[in-house]
Amino acid sequence: MSAIEKIFTSAPGRAVASKAGLKDPPQLRRGRTWPQGAIVLADLNGSTVGRETLVLLGRSFDSPIIDSEDGDAPGYGAKIGAIVVDATTLTTIADLEKMRAVLRPAVRALEGSGRVVILARPAAGDWEQRSVTRALDGINRTVAKELRKGATSTLLYVDHDATPSDLLSTMGFALQGRSAFVDGQTWQVSAADTNVNQLHDTPLDGRTIVVTGAARGIGAAIARSLAQAGAHILAIDIPPAGEALAEVANEIGGTALQLDITADDAGTKIADHIAFRGLKLYGIVHNAGITRDKMLVNTDKARWDSVLDVNLAAQMRINEVLLARRGDGGIEDGGRIIGVASTSGLAGNKGQTNYAASKAGVAGLVQAMAPDLADRAITVNAVAPGFIETEMTGKIPFVQREIFRRSNSLSQGGQPIDVAETIGYFLDPASQGVNGQVVRVCGQNLVGA
Amino acid sequence: MRPKLGGCLIIVNTKTLESVPGMGAGFARALIPSRASQARMPQHDLRVADVKQDVGRLADYCRVTGFTLRNHVPPTWLHVLTFPLQVHLLGDKDASVRLAGAIHVSNTMTLHRPVSSQDVLELGVGTTDLRPHRKGALVDLTSRVRVDGEVAWEGVSTYLAQGMSTPGEVEERERTPFTPVTPQARWRLSASLGREYRRVSGDPNPIHTSRIAARGFGFPRPIIHGMWTHARALAALEGQLTDSYTAQVDFLKPIFLPGTVGMVSQRNAEGINVDVTDKRGEKAHLRMQVRPHG
Amino acid sequence: MTHNAVIVGGNRIPFTKAGGRYADASNHDLLTAALDGLVARFGLSGQRLGEVAGGAVLKHPRDFNLTREAVLSSALSPDTPACDLQQACGTSLETTVYIANKIALGQIESGIACGVDSASDAPITVSDGLKKALLKASRARSVGERAKAFAAIRPRHLAPLAPGVAEPRTGLSMGEHQALTTEAWGVTREEQDEIAAASHHNLAAAWDDGFFDDLVTPYLGVARDTILRPDTSVEKLARLKPAFGGPEGTMTAGNSTALSDGAASVFLASESYARENKLPMLARVVDAEVAAVDHPGGADLLLGPVAAAGRLLERQGLTLDDFALIEIHEAFASTVAATLKAWNDEDFCRARGLSGPIGTFDHSKLNVAGSSLAAGHPFAATGARIVPTLAKLLHAKGPGSRGLISMCAAGGQGIVAIVEAV
Repeated sequence: MSAIEKIFTSAPGRAVASKAGLKDPPQLRRGRTWPQGAIVLADLNGSTVGRETLVLLGRSFDSPIIDSEDGDAPGYGAKIGAIVVDATTLTTIADLEKMRAVLRPAVRALEGSGRVVILARPAAGDWEQRSVTRALDGINRTVAKELRKGATSTLLYVDHDATPSDLLSTMGFALQGRSAFVDGQTWQVSAADTNVNQLHDTPLDGRTIVVTGAARGIGAAIARSLAQAGAHILAIDIPPAGEALAEVANEIGGTALQLDITADDAGTKIADHIAFRGLKLYGIVHNAGITRDKMLVNTDKARWDSVLDVNLAAQMRINEVLLARRGDGGIEDGGRIIGVASTSGLAGNKGQTNYAASKAGVAGLVQAMAPDLADRAITVNAVAPGFIETEMTGKIPFVQREIFRRSNSLSQGGQPIDVAETIGYFLDPASQGVNGQVVRVCGQNLVGA
Repeated sequence: MRPKLGGCLIIVNTKTLESVPGMGAGFARALIPSRASQARMPQHDLRVADVKQDVGRLADYCRVTGFTLRNHVPPTWLHVLTFPLQVHLLGDKDASVRLAGAIHVSNTMTLHRPVSSQDVLELGVGTTDLRPHRKGALVDLTSRVRVDGEVAWEGVSTYLAQGMSTPGEVEERERTPFTPVTPQARWRLSASLGREYRRVSGDPNPIHTSRIAARGFGFPRPIIHGMWTHARALAALEGQLTDSYTAQVDFLKPIFLPGTVGMVSQRNAEGINVDVTDKRGEKAHLRMQVRPHG
Repeated sequence: MTHNAVIVGGNRIPFTKAGGRYADASNHDLLTAALDGLVARFGLSGQRLGEVAGGAVLKHPRDFNLTREAVLSSALSPDTPACDLQQACGTSLETTVYIANKIALGQIESGIACGVDSASDAPITVSDGLKKALLKASRARSVGERAKAFAAIRPRHLAPLAPGVAEPRTGLSMGEHQALTTEAWGVTREEQDEIAAASHHNLAAAWDDGFFDDLVTPYLGVARDTILRPDTSVEKLARLKPAFGGPEGTMTAGNSTALSDGAASVFLASESYARENKLPMLARVVDAEVAAVDHPGGADLLLGPVAAAGRLLERQGLTLDDFALIEIHEAFASTVAATLKAWNDEDFCRARGLSGPIGTFDHSKLNVAGSSLAAGHPFAATGARIVPTLAKLLHAKGPGSRGLISMCAAGGQGIVAIVEAV
């Protein structure tokens, strides 16, 4: 521990830090929990998809308070849990004022870990309409930064043909505590003939899912969380990590497979294992990853190659095998592929050229694969974790770590479970309409795009 | 249920020790009962970095307490590792609360993530929350174990310094009353158990090993270390424990050596409750609640 | 009614030299680790199995119910029953046969056969203090360190009674017995060193191929067998001094097994259970035979399995040609060499009551993934090391491929089994 860390974590250090504005961060609402206060629905211009989705979710909702054009802003009188703004019919710049009018009172009344969820259409139409679509993104990002006490804001672009069934799992995720560390993000929900009419607590019942790098850290959290959602987990890690891997597998009633994912036959071994066990493979979570951090000027070929191979090339090779072996230990139609990218990849990070390349590559890979696999109803998505409290981040020097940890809209590092919950949302059979998306789990990192 | 840490506003600083303190002057002083009437604790934290675990001693510890030697170590073992720092703090010249005469009344430990016997640890101990009690003053010794900078384990040991005073209001804590049970297990504690546990824990308090010392503190016979009973109770749940949980223990009545006690465990929606009772299950010696996380 | 008993798979922990990385672990700890790895490999957490049979040769009185206690510490359902069996070095091949027989008879549907031994935690009837000092001394790198370790010994540590390492009826150690056999059969130093070198090379190659990725789970940070010397050679082995058979002896520390710590397990099930539970089936247990010789009467102590092999082959109507792979436990390299000679010795075989010599076979089929000389030999764990290894090798060769296992055991005994790939 560095001298600075000692001062910082000591009581006087904390007292000083507190005066300097570094307050103890808010405790986030997590898990399959709904906001405590009322959910307010603002369906602007008579939009209906938001209303119908809330009905399908079985959530009651209140009418919004609209800010008057002049004079004092009216208040809600009590804390509200969330505001869902259905802006799917907003088309003009003049319409944007309606966003201000519903958000102003709502943001003021929002409870800790409350939610702002904005629904909009993907960019289409005339110049003005497209501009408005992008304007909503600016509103979302800014509201997210202004919200306090762990409240978050999310913008969802909902396809014209997407039904409330298609939107159900996404809206549920955005409102529930599962999205605790997802803030200021924007992603898209498409039409997908999703045939569901309610959220399930164990949506993965009876489904077999592979998690790589499952022996510890985020991988172990993912395995645990997916097992709680009903999945049978095939937990994979390198043979030397076998003991910790076995402990994870036994705790969750899963199966351990000791395997080096960079081996040429890794995909075949996974498929063989699944086929040998008479299982059907529903999904794979490519979590295994390494860092070999150095400034680019000090990065040799070995550091470069190992990171690119483990973090990117290996999962591409494995995907190819698992997609080719449909019905024989490969991924079944209707299945799921999840990549783990990183905000380092999306925004860049000093000392991590190799890592950033691999992780941005993962984002590119899922976006490339998604349309090609649509005819098999396989979705491909990625999470991009920001600062998550793990052993790997524990190795970052203290000052840098404390800056990273605090440099987001929620003033804290995320937990491995936050990454796991987002992955669980992608894996949910009800998330069929979510494809080719990269969702950051970063508490809205201040750094980067 | 999570231990409260770092709540105090006293100005303290941190002393970093080169290594885990041995049986030095601090230990000796910690064993001398204090005559002070006002409870005082040193206002600094102690830290030791780069602590490698001795697997041989861990194996002995597991043998004495009933754990199986695995890659993941028992959380009570991490308490044992931080214990010399607690003693060092209690042996400080600024401390009027001493190990001898202080009664360990409760303990809460949280395992945030599994710790491997191969992990290199950073140990930290500090005090918070000196507060009054009907019979004296309560002091919390807080301990932390970090692995690679990440807090893997936290513990709060609450000691009662009998007859001492400290400013503040006595806070009455509500306890669920104990109702007699039929023990599921009976543990026979041998006369040498105190010495065996001293060997693996390094806890030198003679009331656990010497009849004369025990009499000096008003006990007819030596009593077993509360942390042995805690560890033994946790070991009895082997196989039911998850990777992350909080174990809260109240030490209610001392257990004399040699002796026979009963044990009963019960699983409910929140976790597992264990009572270590007298032979017949009529009185509780120790009550433990284990609550898994996430 | 009989059912096919199939080998689903296995798990062991890496084996280490006694006094090494597992020096402080007990039989209970080692066996629990082996079981937990097996449970994880096959997703058995919380499941009740028919029975677990295990054993140890060197056993503390406190371990009277060793296997059941390990089951309780493992992730298996506490409703899984267990028993302890012991047949010296044949223990976990015997437990394999025991579980397979119960499955064949329809008494159970699934079970685990296992074995464990810790030569570090041997029940020496001296104090822990002495044991520790001795272990420390044996690990010492310098004279000074060693002297310091011995200086820690106190008179009170010196309670009497070492354990019985010799055959009770002859007073000879196993190595001394084998030295007699080595000389009687004219086994040369070169033959022995070649067998030892091959064992290390084969085991090293199997590790490098990832062969053990689904057969071994690390324990206490040990991820590979520590006795293994991939770079050993006949030349290097030739430099070692004799350990048994006097100054002219040919048996060295290099061609004899080291005292080892470790545990191993085999998961067995009925074919129907395996199918219902979507478990892999590597090979079925076909048949087994045990035999013993009158070693107090002068017979070769470690050639007990010859009669067992002959009787088993005759009963099954098989010859050595019918086997794709053969495993002969390497108690000593010269045990393997003498066994091969004895199999082909008409007089010896007839004297054992067989109708003729068992014969010879292509030695490239022998111990192809290494054996006890390289892996180590925690006595009761060796059978359960061999069975899954062989089953996996046979499975890769294709259905119907047969394998033969021959193991010698103390008391002039031997156990032999046939498995066949499914």
